[in-house]
Amino acid sequence: MIKAIVDNLRGLWSLLVGLHITGRFGLGPFPVWLGLKEPESGYPQLTTHYPWKTVDDADLVTFRGPLELVPSEEDPRRSKCVSCLMCVRACPSSCLTVVKGGQGKAPAVWLNDFTLCSLCGTCVEVCPAGALRFSHDLYWVAEKREDLVNDLLARLAGAAPEKARL
Amino acid sequence: MSNLFVNPFHFSTISENPADMLGDFYSLNFEKGRVDPDSMILNLGPQHPSTHGVLRILAELHGEYVLRAEPVLGYLHRMHDFMGQVKTPYQFLPNTGRVDYLHPVAWNWAYCGALERLAGLEVPERAEYLRIICCELNRIASHVMWWGAFVMDLGGFTPILYAFEEREKINDLLQIVTGSRLTMNSMRFGGMGADLDDRFLQKAADFIPYMRERLKMYDRLVTGNVIFRRRLEGVGPLDEEICRRYGATGPVLRGAGVAYDVRRAEPYGLYDRFDFEIPVAESPDCLGRYLVRLREIEESLKIVEQALARIPAGPYKHPKAPKVSWKPPAGEAYFAVEGGRGKIGIHVVSDGGKSNYRLKLRAPGFSNLSLFAEAARGTLLADALAILGSLDLVIPEVDR
Repeated sequence: MIKAIVDNLRGLWSLLVGLHITGRFGLGPFPVWLGLKEPESGYPQLTTHYPWKTVDDADLVTFRGPLELVPSEEDPRRSKCVSCLMCVRACPSSCLTVVKGGQGKAPAVWLNDFTLCSLCGTCVEVCPAGALRFSHDLYWVAEKREDLVNDLLARLAGAAPEKARL
Repeated sequence: MSNLFVNPFHFSTISENPADMLGDFYSLNFEKGRVDPDSMILNLGPQHPSTHGVLRILAELHGEYVLRAEPVLGYLHRMHDFMGQVKTPYQFLPNTGRVDYLHPVAWNWAYCGALERLAGLEVPERAEYLRIICCELNRIASHVMWWGAFVMDLGGFTPILYAFEEREKINDLLQIVTGSRLTMNSMRFGGMGADLDDRFLQKAADFIPYMRERLKMYDRLVTGNVIFRRRLEGVGPLDEEICRRYGATGPVLRGAGVAYDVRRAEPYGLYDRFDFEIPVAESPDCLGRYLVRLREIEESLKIVEQALARIPAGPYKHPKAPKVSWKPPAGEAYFAVEGGRGKIGIHVVSDGGKSNYRLKLRAPGFSNLSLFAEAARGTLLADALAILGSLDLVIPEVDR
């Protein structure tokens, strides 16, 4: 009998402890909203509220975004690509299209189908000229499927928009 | 002619409503419909929030009690085994991160380890440390995610919101090394794909004490909660015998009181140099499995702490590591690692050709799920869902 009462009281206490924790987390932002505390000292904001804020570039150094071509040293509008097609053969998802026939060894067409790409990085590793890298483009959006086929030569030449902005 | 035509709609005489007696042709034991005239067959899933994916559970209910249950698989089958036999070994690497989305680093390691054992490749010491750090951080993320989802199955919604805070921090850490936040694919044959930097070391050093504080909060919020304890204590006891029969591993087996962990039983990498314990539950019920996972987070934190303190300088990839067009030598090898859910084993057979001759992925979730049919028999439906949650299923891994 006494044991049952003690057990129930303990159970009730455990519920109060839980309410205390959730209450503290839930009411955490209120002092900041009421202007009693500095915004930085309030509830820690771990995520980024996207349209109003964007992720720091320092946090994206190693992030693998959509592929892009590395500009050559002489002309930043031209790529280092030598059209060897090793990336096309190595790609597990067959998402690359490279057509030879540009000026010198340069490619005429360089397409990356982002709907197929799994960002594995095989093409970046296999490239003998070091002509490929991952961009840090987090905010790329498209409305049509065809828009996701990324023309990397056009992007390099600056014709493609760098970043979709609000 | 009439013998050739078999009526697929098997009607029994005990039912008044023949439509109610329709069996399920995709199941093993529910093909003939109900066994009890007073019972009802309930389909849990394939789209049910507490099955965590496209898993379907067929349950025959008598009131609130489960007479028998059967998991029906195959809704997320993607032929990963076969893809490994079509693509070259290097091209299969991104697939390994997609088999189990909660602990992809362990699958990466299992596949790289199998091919390294097959070809006799060496891995530099720094890469081994990097692998351990990534794998253990990912294990923490996996267990934390399970903690939130499991409590959500039992009706408490708030913990999963807290669990995502830790997961966010770990994702930020793993992004520095692996470059992605979900389907990580950072290991290469003979090393790692990238190195860590000072920011990682600093963030990880901040994370470990933070996580220990949060674990105390978990204990106060959930483990001590009277409703939670009474839902789990004595529910779904799984003893050693049933685990052995179905091949269950990981926290399910350790919850049954067997201190079996691949990191100890068949040490791989440099795990034999680390000081950590294999937590074992006192009781074989759902609460035991819950406590095992929470203690495993502490042990993983210990491993990460030791690894960060001792990580040597050096290359993160062997200078003679194979190139993308690498063909493994003929032979076969098996490599097992301890994943968040149990023993991940990969058996690879090569005939020296471009792609593997045979690849077999052994997923722990599949074996753990197999014992559900037997464990759920005779329990209340709500308890059966608690058992299902305590197995920590990841459906892409179960189906592969």
